[in-house]
Amino acid sequence: MIWSIAWRNIWRNKIRSTIVLVAITIGLFAGVFSTGFYKGMADMRVESGIKTEVSHIQIHKPDFMLNNEISLYFDSSNQIVSRINEMESVIASSRRIEAECFFKTAHGTRGVRIVGVEPDREKKVTDIFEQMVEGDYLAGDHRIPRILVGKTLGEKLKLKIGSKIPVDMVDMNGNFSSKLYKIGGFFETTNKGFDERTVFVRFDQLQQQLNLPDNAAHEIAIYLQNDANIDIVQGKLQEKFPQLDVKNWRQIGKELALVTDSMDQYMYIFVIIILLALCFGIINTMLMVVLERTKELGMLMAVGMHRAKVFLMIILESIFLSLSGGILGIIIGYGVIKYFEDTPIVLDIFKGFEHYGYSSKVYTNLPPEMALNIAGLVFIIGIISALYPAWKAIRLDPADAIRTD
Amino acid sequence: MNILETKNLHKVYDETSVPVYAVNGIDLTIKKGEFTAIVGPSGSGKTTLLNMIGGLDRPTKGEIIVNNVKLNDLSSRKLTDFRLKNIGFVFQAYNLIPVLTAKENVEFIMQLQKRPKKERDKRTISLLEAVGLGDRVNSRPAKMSGGQQQRVAVTRAIASKPQFVLADEPTANLDSKSTENLLEIMEELNRKEQITFIFSTHDQRVVKKARRVITVDDGKIVKDETRDPEKD
Repeated sequence: MIWSIAWRNIWRNKIRSTIVLVAITIGLFAGVFSTGFYKGMADMRVESGIKTEVSHIQIHKPDFMLNNEISLYFDSSNQIVSRINEMESVIASSRRIEAECFFKTAHGTRGVRIVGVEPDREKKVTDIFEQMVEGDYLAGDHRIPRILVGKTLGEKLKLKIGSKIPVDMVDMNGNFSSKLYKIGGFFETTNKGFDERTVFVRFDQLQQQLNLPDNAAHEIAIYLQNDANIDIVQGKLQEKFPQLDVKNWRQIGKELALVTDSMDQYMYIFVIIILLALCFGIINTMLMVVLERTKELGMLMAVGMHRAKVFLMIILESIFLSLSGGILGIIIGYGVIKYFEDTPIVLDIFKGFEHYGYSSKVYTNLPPEMALNIAGLVFIIGIISALYPAWKAIRLDPADAIRTD
Repeated sequence: MNILETKNLHKVYDETSVPVYAVNGIDLTIKKGEFTAIVGPSGSGKTTLLNMIGGLDRPTKGEIIVNNVKLNDLSSRKLTDFRLKNIGFVFQAYNLIPVLTAKENVEFIMQLQKRPKKERDKRTISLLEAVGLGDRVNSRPAKMSGGQQQRVAVTRAIASKPQFVLADEPTANLDSKSTENLLEIMEELNRKEQITFIFSTHDQRVVKKARRVITVDDGKIVKDETRDPEKD
């Protein structure tokens, strides 16, 4: 009956309880929706980072990643790719050559990272070809080789399709090497920074310009069926190619790893802050409850209700109050998140985030276990909020409490 | 058969370093089936005496023995259990649980006593019918008159089959008709079921019905008379 009394007690003061419930509902809705929004944003950043920039796993010569030294290439790259493609869980892999180069145009000079890719293989590993906004993706063999430039860089240097552009760099032998490329297309990813500092050419063209041996490559990018067994595949690759350095996207893109690792924690902290604010509202309400019901609590203890049961009754009231509002807020928040999982939220104010790789179109996402964890936090806050009022209740002297006006 | 006995009972409040003797050496014996009124002016010590008899307050000195159990020796937890099993309370302001119906208010005490549901249901209904509230079992206190609420409170007090019922100014908030009705019910319960009632009261209507009247003043029993109300 204590459960029943506790539940009915909530509705003794309907206006007050409704206000608290609405506050908890709004607070939890805000917490859950924000969590789903930022989680969606983070997931998209990671997804686009993997699909567009780094793929799941990369293989390099040891130390290559320290300063992209062009002499740190590996041979037999084609055979390595074939062996990798035979592995379970691997969708595709692609060789790359990378170097730092200079772009010289009438409108300025830029230092950028030039990446030589094999178009057909690269299409299976990254989705740059899908991000083309103008021109073609390194198609065909041309007398003047084609180069793909990010839209942002193209706008800054006032480049057009077909513009010829000399690309300067230092080759394998330490000699200055300049080669003329023609703008073949512009791509636009969700990461403006990436677009501004990365250009793509065909693998063989860059190999030739750098004077690298046949079959040499700096990097092999590997795309997996999913992220779940990445550590297993990475381990197997490292066993297969002990002389090479095998790294996953978390190790390569530390900023991406930080996004996923920290986002969940930030979101829990955010929700906890909301709950703590609500906690004070609940404490206040429960203190009022104890104050208003002093006589009744005294009677309960006088007729033989143990203090532990009185304590439990107050705690239950607080839990019911918190959970009613909390679960309602979570359900509404979760419903809204589900809706925006397929329909993106487009916010112009997030355009600025594109420089950091975040899309201005956000598809929300909240794993059910996270919603359950938030419900668990609400439950805990319900208990914490009632501890002091319940303690005050059991400190009452029944004889005095009964005589309270 | 004595169901309650106090020996040299004292309660001293040490307020502002001047000791106040609320109860000052009361020796009292109550037998099963008594219908007793404790009277006295405000501040005479009758409420303090009632609180100590009911196990709500502890004496400074002296003994309280209920049904051969010395209350002084009981821990707070055991005292709560003792109250639940042995003492029924009726309060001036009824003190029903407003969110429960009349039936649930009565049943609540028996549930605390862990009585089986069947027994609870049966006893609750028969008691409420006995006090004339058979048609109000599902009414909440707010929907009942003061007299009806106090009848529910009396039912609640006797539902637990206590050794005695302590009623503190039970008629103070009631009109004459309700008071008369309530007193008739309590008298009948006393007569038929041998339930012991101890009242603390100023109400002469209650005093007139009592078969024993104990007058308290300055924390002492100044008069203890037994009488037959029908003859008076």
